[in-house]
Amino acid sequence: MKTVNIQEKILTKNEMKAAELREKLKGVAVLNFVSSPGSGKTSLLEKVLVMLKDKYKIAVVEGDQQTTHDADRIKATGVEAFQVNTGNACHLEAIDVERALGSLGYDLDLLIIENVGNLVCPAEYDLGEDAKVVLLSVTEGDDKPAKYPVMTRAGSAYIINKIDLLPYVDFSVDKCIEYAKGIQPELEFFTTSCRTGEGLDKVADYIEKMTKAKKG
Amino acid sequence: MHELGIANSLIEIVLENANANGAKVVRSVTAKIGRLAAVDSEALKFAYDAIKEEYPMIAESVLVIDNVPVTGKCNKCGATDTYDEMFFACSKCGSYEVELITGEELTVSEIEVD
Repeated sequence: MKTVNIQEKILTKNEMKAAELREKLKGVAVLNFVSSPGSGKTSLLEKVLVMLKDKYKIAVVEGDQQTTHDADRIKATGVEAFQVNTGNACHLEAIDVERALGSLGYDLDLLIIENVGNLVCPAEYDLGEDAKVVLLSVTEGDDKPAKYPVMTRAGSAYIINKIDLLPYVDFSVDKCIEYAKGIQPELEFFTTSCRTGEGLDKVADYIEKMTKAKKG
Repeated sequence: MHELGIANSLIEIVLENANANGAKVVRSVTAKIGRLAAVDSEALKFAYDAIKEEYPMIAESVLVIDNVPVTGKCNKCGATDTYDEMFFACSKCGSYEVELITGEELTVSEIEVD
């Protein structure tokens, strides 16, 4: 019997594909939106991308187990979208994004990936993004950042959505932010409501800043 | 839920290295899994055992999981900590400016072959 020392990262295949995408998308800002199902990712994108679509070439990759509902909603706003149905998979992989780009093309300023609604598995899969944007709605509980620490840790921005519902739920924005900061101190925080429009301009600014930075 | 995919990638790496080292049979595989890697050890073992049957070289092998705790170093005061809770504040000075040293691993560390 002999021991063979390996020390190789297990997700190599996905990571290599993600690195390849990163190379091909050098001047493109790539944001990977993640949340639980129903936190409002699509609603937020519908509202925010409209603010940016006349200035930048934008495309959205929509990930869901089934249906083209989300891609249809994005397309209805005049932004290009491609639906990936993952079937039984609970997350998007870099190869799914590559497939979507085969149809959307690489000539973009901004690529938004709306991942499958799931706060566990998508944390582990690099899609070639510059940042993971985590969404949480106030009906989900202010300790959610602590319950899903891996995703919180992987995030660059944290959006607390549906704040128009704050009067009706026991959700402390401060507590939520405190939990999240204890896991990832570099997070940028946003509070938004797609109903009232509050805070959406700040999210648009954040996305625009990243887009400009990547364009150089 | 994604352990099946990870088991597949892991097996690919194991077979590649076993072949490169002229092995006839793999006895054991050791994988390092950090607490922050979002991988469930039992689910991964289950997936590994289900798939290994398809490959004679690893059909009899055992997957050994080396669970790695989350440890970090405070950038403010330099204290090192092991975090039992998923809240990374320095236990000495309370700062959040903590750099993680371990806990994010998802690695095949070694295989034993004949």
